[in-house]
Amino acid sequence: MRAARSRVILTPEHVEIRLEPAALGRRFIALVADLVLVLAATSLVVRFAEALLPGALGTIVRALALLALSWGYHVYFEVRHQGQSPGKRMVGIRVVDGRGLPLSVEQSFVRNVVRVLDALPLGYALGAVACFLDPLGRRLGDLAAGTLVVRESTPPASDRRAGRARAFNSLRTPRLIRMARHRVSLEEREFLAELCLRADGLDERARLGLMEEVGGHYRARLGIDDPHLSGESLVRDLTAVLFC
Amino acid sequence: MDVERFVRERRGRWSRFEALLQATEHLPDHEMGAARLLELVRLYRQTCSDLNEARSGTANAALLARLNGLAGRGYRIVYRRSPGRRFAEEARRFFATGAPAAFRRERGSVLAAAGAFLLGALVGFGAVLADPANAERLVPPQFYSESPRARVERIEASAERVGSLEEASEFSSFLFSHNIQVSFLAFSLGALTLVGGAWLLFYNGTLLGAIAAAYLRDGVSVFFVAWVGPHGALELPAIVFGAAAGFRLGRALLLPGALSTGAAVRRALPSVWRMLLLTAIVLVAAGLVEGSFSQMSARTIPYPAKIAVAALLFAGLLGWLFGWRTGEEAA
Repeated sequence: MRAARSRVILTPEHVEIRLEPAALGRRFIALVADLVLVLAATSLVVRFAEALLPGALGTIVRALALLALSWGYHVYFEVRHQGQSPGKRMVGIRVVDGRGLPLSVEQSFVRNVVRVLDALPLGYALGAVACFLDPLGRRLGDLAAGTLVVRESTPPASDRRAGRARAFNSLRTPRLIRMARHRVSLEEREFLAELCLRADGLDERARLGLMEEVGGHYRARLGIDDPHLSGESLVRDLTAVLFC
Repeated sequence: MDVERFVRERRGRWSRFEALLQATEHLPDHEMGAARLLELVRLYRQTCSDLNEARSGTANAALLARLNGLAGRGYRIVYRRSPGRRFAEEARRFFATGAPAAFRRERGSVLAAAGAFLLGALVGFGAVLADPANAERLVPPQFYSESPRARVERIEASAERVGSLEEASEFSSFLFSHNIQVSFLAFSLGALTLVGGAWLLFYNGTLLGAIAAAYLRDGVSVFFVAWVGPHGALELPAIVFGAAAGFRLGRALLLPGALSTGAAVRRALPSVWRMLLLTAIVLVAAGLVEGSFSQMSARTIPYPAKIAVAALLFAGLLGWLFGWRTGEEAA
């Protein structure tokens, strides 16, 4: 799978807002949750229709109600609740217009009509393939309606790890803090943050080697002469100093 | 940039902005009240400027993600379209002006879809007139299990196919649910591929043409028209309408011309969704007719009466959508 890219919107205030496409797994969980709710509501409607309106009229009313429920559920919530059906709210994703605005009735209607195609041949297989191939993770319905499913930005736990105040941080001295903030450029800070976030995914030897190399560079650059501080500790401490 | 100080000084107003968003996100503007609306706009602008400042001063992913999320949520509220009218008013306008206007605007797409269907019907009709054996080649066996004449004789001799109101409503419900599903599928194929929608129309036209020719050759065409006519007068246009909506959207998606795809789609959507909604409504009506009236044999309702009803329904539907203009729309 290609890494999902984010879409950047320039607001009239000249601020760039990034829309992060929602991951397929979250979307699938939301879908299943919504499906359970629709099925529950459906069975309620059937019960009530049988009890209140027996006979031919009841059959027609029931069929119409089911039709309205299965097509209208998503449209109602997407339009009335800022692009969030209950399932989407549960997993923290929402549908928005391609320009980051709330989606309109017509967009919601069309993206949910194309659902019949996305659901083919079984269990949303076609929609999932479309999500994999599209850089913004859009299913066919999203493509047709010009919409996008985005992740609500709750920063994941791992993001905090990079800048977490480390308990025994020997670099947290006024002199070093000042020097680090003065001498480490923005690009370098981004690099350090990324390195700390992604280090855990590396093979142990590769990680230690890389950390020693980067640590050695900053040891010389900032004049840190603590021989007991490993390269990895130095990099993590320095990142913590820069970000907290 | 001193991130700690930056966050400490602004944390309060970010929380306030978040709480305000939470409380007002799903309210229409007039329920929000002027004071809250103004505060929301002010906080939105400040958050935007904080985001810009943070971007130039730090790479702290958590902080940037939080501000980005807040600014995005604010942007959605500040720049949204004004909410629509009330549901009853909206529904009235849809039937009075919205749907007919959409169809008149997109008559090119409707003509293209009707053309594909009619071309298929002509091909099917001609093929079976030329050689009756083609009927068995063109039409799947589940629709063509016996000769048309034998079928008509059997139906006219046996009891009514749909005996009770209960049966008719079951059958109708099945028909309209199924037909809506299929026409939405045809719409989707048309919207994403254009060619797929045209092929579906052509193929269905061929089937209908071939079956019509088979009945004609067997000398039972009056039965055929009286049997297919009443619901066909609604169902066939509805299939064409759904596919036409697909063509319209497909043109925007695949051939946007000088516009960006997004702009072309946004321009097409108001017509497209009205056409689709009308397709679904007409298919419900067609299903009700097909499940009851269409199935009645000559003993209950004479064939000329059924054919007259079919002609009336067809003329009424097309007249409503393409014929007269109401004063409201002209204004």
